Amino acid sequence: MMSAGCDVGSLTTKAVILNNTRVMSHALIPSSFNPEKSAAEVMALALNAAGLTMKDIGFCVGTGYGREKIPFVGKAVSEIACHAKGAHWLLPSIRTIIDIGGQDCKAIRIDEKGNIVRFITNDKCASGTGRFLEVMAKLLGLELEELGTLSGQSRNPITLAATCTAWAQAEVIVHLNSNTPKADLAAGINQAMAARVAILAKSVGVEKDVCMTGGVAKNAGVLDAMEKHLGVPMRRLRVDPQVMGALGAAVLAKEKMEGASHVRSRL
Amino acid sequence: MMEKLRKTALNLHNEFVQKWKKQGGKVVGYACTFIPEEILHAAGLLPFRLRGVGTTSVSIGDSYFGPVNCSLPKCMLQLAGQGAYAFLDGAILSNGCDSMRRLEECWRKASEDYPGTLPGYYEYFSVPHKAVDYSIDFYAQELTEMISTLEKHFKVTITAKALKKSIRVYNQGRLLLRKLDELRYRGEVPITGADAMAILIAGHAMPREEWGAMLKDILADLENTPPVSDHKKRLMLIGSANDDVDFINLIEDSSAIVVADTVCFGSRTYANLVDEKADPIPTLASHYLSNSICPRMLGCYKDRRSYIMDLVNKTAVDGVILQNVRFCDLHGSENGVLERDLEAAGIPCMRLEREYGPLVETGRIRMRLDAFVERIS
Repeated sequence: MMSAGCDVGSLTTKAVILNNTRVMSHALIPSSFNPEKSAAEVMALALNAAGLTMKDIGFCVGTGYGREKIPFVGKAVSEIACHAKGAHWLLPSIRTIIDIGGQDCKAIRIDEKGNIVRFITNDKCASGTGRFLEVMAKLLGLELEELGTLSGQSRNPITLAATCTAWAQAEVIVHLNSNTPKADLAAGINQAMAARVAILAKSVGVEKDVCMTGGVAKNAGVLDAMEKHLGVPMRRLRVDPQVMGALGAAVLAKEKMEGASHVRSRL
Repeated sequence: MMEKLRKTALNLHNEFVQKWKKQGGKVVGYACTFIPEEILHAAGLLPFRLRGVGTTSVSIGDSYFGPVNCSLPKCMLQLAGQGAYAFLDGAILSNGCDSMRRLEECWRKASEDYPGTLPGYYEYFSVPHKAVDYSIDFYAQELTEMISTLEKHFKVTITAKALKKSIRVYNQGRLLLRKLDELRYRGEVPITGADAMAILIAGHAMPREEWGAMLKDILADLENTPPVSDHKKRLMLIGSANDDVDFINLIEDSSAIVVADTVCFGSRTYANLVDEKADPIPTLASHYLSNSICPRMLGCYKDRRSYIMDLVNKTAVDGVILQNVRFCDLHGSENGVLERDLEAAGIPCMRLEREYGPLVETGRIRMRLDAFVERIS
């Protein structure tokens, strides 16, 4: 029997199917205003990709903001526990996870068993979240992914003084009007993002190994900047970091099925 | 009976206040635990703790306060400007914290733009930040001045005999609340934290004797009430003022039960009794200034930490929620130090910064609470 995890986030909905200790498939779609519909849609995609039906799933755990609205899950677990579980399952040496999602960011410290020791989330504004990058990418006329690739070409990154998304936007407009190269703007934006989140991470005490999860972890520019700010390397994950919450949920589902407190990856 | 207290905790102009006013009684609002209700009670007035409950906008509050002020006094001012405090015959504001001190001047100024919103009796009461002999003397002088202005405005006489009687009434209430705490501290808890909070809030929003009689009956009922704490994690709530029963409900929705707290509006005020035999004014001054666990009092962090540690042990809580209203300097900074010290002592903590007022951040707060409960499970 397979296990599954479904993560209904604020911007995207994700599903992961686990077969014993391997990821069979995963899927990701934009979230709609109907969490039940989004969950059913993404799960159908993941099942289809694995050539399975819902009958093949022994247990499913739900997570994300819409976790309690998912009709087919046996249990709802916070995304903090799921991101920690997913990252630890992939890399048992991980002790600190920095998750940057669409509308929030979290720093989570775990022990050697993957149990949460401390965590913190942003509670002041959206400047350290995926939304910040979305706003900036749109302003620069770039795709979100290009912010990361382009920043690698920067020679003189700009410095953003404002941490507020709206005011930072105004600063970027000034630079755009001064014909500052987009690569420098992209690098400055990524660094501002990393600086903001690094403060959060430091407040839980960064312990190696460290990894990033969530959609923003796909941005190489933010990853590089985060390494500089924290002074530690970011371990790269072998599964799409954006589905880490859903993966953790699937691992928890697997544990529930096996009555175990711990299952390991064979990736 | 519990339902009546729940309603009282949720509504400013509650049925008890309406009845009191109908009978010709006067109501005086006060903003802080450092203002002795005994004095208002002895004057035959109904002491009413000012709150910001039921606010749906802070348009008025934001117009007079700066952007970096706590939202509790903003919500209080909002309600005042909207006329929700029209039932007050008086109000006493104090320097409980800087934002609350500013409420005194903001309300005064706002009343120029919203005529008729300032109560007839409107006074500022200055509270020292240290509990030493000379500050207690100063505080006693302030109390004497308060008595004098109340007597003059409301045409009453506040005698030492009446003060001693009021001290007795309030001590009886304190003893009842300690009994409530004993029930909450049990392994099998018969009352939710939300209901306990409703009882505490109602105690400062209705006649004390009536509240005491109701609480006595509730306590008797609770002795035979089945527990509501099955398989739930026991939590303690610490930090900024909280009179929001729905916030406690939100915590308790996460498979948890709040069995103890040290928050303003909560269980902060009845650990000690006031001496009923001594001279009332110096006794009240010494009691209110020396027995507070509010971080506004300087140089007492170790005492507060020790009080909290003792309470953690006594109540066998699984974790502590250190919450503060955004821009609350006092609790915002103290929560950081407390988190460090409590975690070092093996007590799991979660810090939470939030807005006072309608629960607009329920999704994010709930996710953090769930994660905390998962951590301690």
